[in-house]
Amino acid sequence: MIVSSFRVTKFAFQNFWRNFWLSVITVSMLVMTLITINILLVLNVVTEEAISLVEDRIEVSVYFHDYVDEATVGGAVEYLRDLAQVRDVETISADEAYEQFVERHSDDEDIMASLDELGGNPFGPTLVVKANSAEDFELIIDALDNPQFRDDIREKDFSDYQEIVDRIRGTTDQIATFGIALTGIFLLIAIMIVFNTVRIGIFIHREEIGIMRLVGASNWFIKAPFHLEMMFLSLLAVGIAAGIVFPVVNILEPKFSVYFGTQGAGIAEFFMENGLWIFGGQFLILAVVTIISTSMAMRKYLKV
Amino acid sequence: MIRLKKVSKTYHPNVVGVKGVSLHIPAGEFVSIVGKSGTGKSTLAKLLFAEERPSSGVIEIGGWDITHIHNRDIPLLRRQIGVVFQDFKLLPQKTVYENVAFALQVGGAKPRRIREVVPKVLEIVGLHEKASRYPRQLSGGEQQRVAIARALVHSPKVLVADEPTGNLDTLNTREIVDLLQKINEFGTTVCLVTHDREVVNRLKRRVITLEDGKVASDVEQGRYKL
Ligand SMILES: Nc1ncnc2c1ncn2[C@@H]1O[C@H](COP(=O)(O)OP(=O)(O)OP(=O)(O)O)[C@@H](O)[C@H]1O
Ligand SMILES: [Mg+2]
Repeated sequence: MIVSSFRVTKFAFQNFWRNFWLSVITVSMLVMTLITINILLVLNVVTEEAISLVEDRIEVSVYFHDYVDEATVGGAVEYLRDLAQVRDVETISADEAYEQFVERHSDDEDIMASLDELGGNPFGPTLVVKANSAEDFELIIDALDNPQFRDDIREKDFSDYQEIVDRIRGTTDQIATFGIALTGIFLLIAIMIVFNTVRIGIFIHREEIGIMRLVGASNWFIKAPFHLEMMFLSLLAVGIAAGIVFPVVNILEPKFSVYFGTQGAGIAEFFMENGLWIFGGQFLILAVVTIISTSMAMRKYLKV
Repeated sequence: MIRLKKVSKTYHPNVVGVKGVSLHIPAGEFVSIVGKSGTGKSTLAKLLFAEERPSSGVIEIGGWDITHIHNRDIPLLRRQIGVVFQDFKLLPQKTVYENVAFALQVGGAKPRRIREVVPKVLEIVGLHEKASRYPRQLSGGEQQRVAIARALVHSPKVLVADEPTGNLDTLNTREIVDLLQKINEFGTTVCLVTHDREVVNRLKRRVITLEDGKVASDVEQGRYKL
């Protein structure tokens, strides 16, 4: 078996070199397919990052009337915390609200003057509610209509990020659909090219294969070199794709930090952490695809 | 060793290869198969090493019913039947030694066995001194002897030769036939398909004559008659 494996390997590499240009074309197509898949992955990471960045900012400010006491506010906090959609509730007491307001507007004499005119603290306690995702908004707002608190609340205020999130999703979904279609097309072309490469390999080696058959070569010995060659081409393609993706991602990462702040979009990190899975998975995809098309070609042209 | 029962092979509905051939070839026999062109000699040979399947009838080789042999079992059969053709079927980019070794390699033989067997069979065919030559550097007769050497590496029980001398002159033909006789003397059953009257008459062994795909005559110590 070991000796045979060595011979099969030798045979496979002979195939590779004898059809050098065909091998180049096959690998190029496989690389292109992989690059599209990786672009999709990058897109996905960036989208998720962008959305989570937006979702981070989602908050509902709940202003209570100034007569509402601490206990009621505490009850509301408890109630909100129990909701699955709520990520965090921050309480700002009436005094804090006052201080914050003064701090923010200390430069503005008009405002300060009118505050003085009111006398005392016109602010009630405030809650800042953070949601888990943009879609949870409506629910939280509705929950606050609970008759238990409804009359204590003076105003509910939220910035509507849902639309932004929807827009991000809409755009990236469109790109992703296009990318998936492209991957499909590339994969189909890759299958055809692999099929054709094997067909030509069989044609080039028809004499040898015919003789192999006559002298009793096992089917495995006849078929294995083609599978091995295609496995090798797949591996080469994955290697080249990884060799392109890693540097490109590292170049792109700082460009993204313009939009995402210091923590960046996390694509370089994503590829660093999951590189083995990502490219291992892609090799597996290629392996399956090439085994299928190689088998098809052999079934048709080798009749073994 | 070889037994055919009412074997027919039709390629297309109206193209007959062989029709209703029944034969028994005992182990160790040397049989010549003769007949006009297109009478099914090659078809008969191909049926023996399962290059073709019969349309009807039964074929047994050494007690093994190969009538409906599965594709995956064909390699096993081919290691028991040596085959030789008119056009030698050697690989031009391999040396004599490599051509012969190839037959062992593709069957998964160990290097040690290859180093043992190849010189031995080259010795039998008298080409051990030309082992490192390429086929193009050999005469037709020598090339055919390489092919025969290759057919012998698995020590086959049966050797099927389809017009092995078809491309050779009288002298080389005689050498090849002598070689086949020598192999037969070692105990291998030989089936020789030939057109060559001289060969058949000199052999004085069993002759099966085909006509339109049927056995027209089958005689011990026969002569070429047509
Ligand atoms: N693969 C094939 N497909 C269709 N018909 C075939 C095939 N092989 C042979 N035949 C037909 O079967 C018949 C017998 O052919 P075969 O090759 O056995 O003859 P043969 O006796 O070997 O002839 P020759 O002496 O010329 O080699 C012929 O009519 C031939 O045309
Ligand atoms: Mg013929």
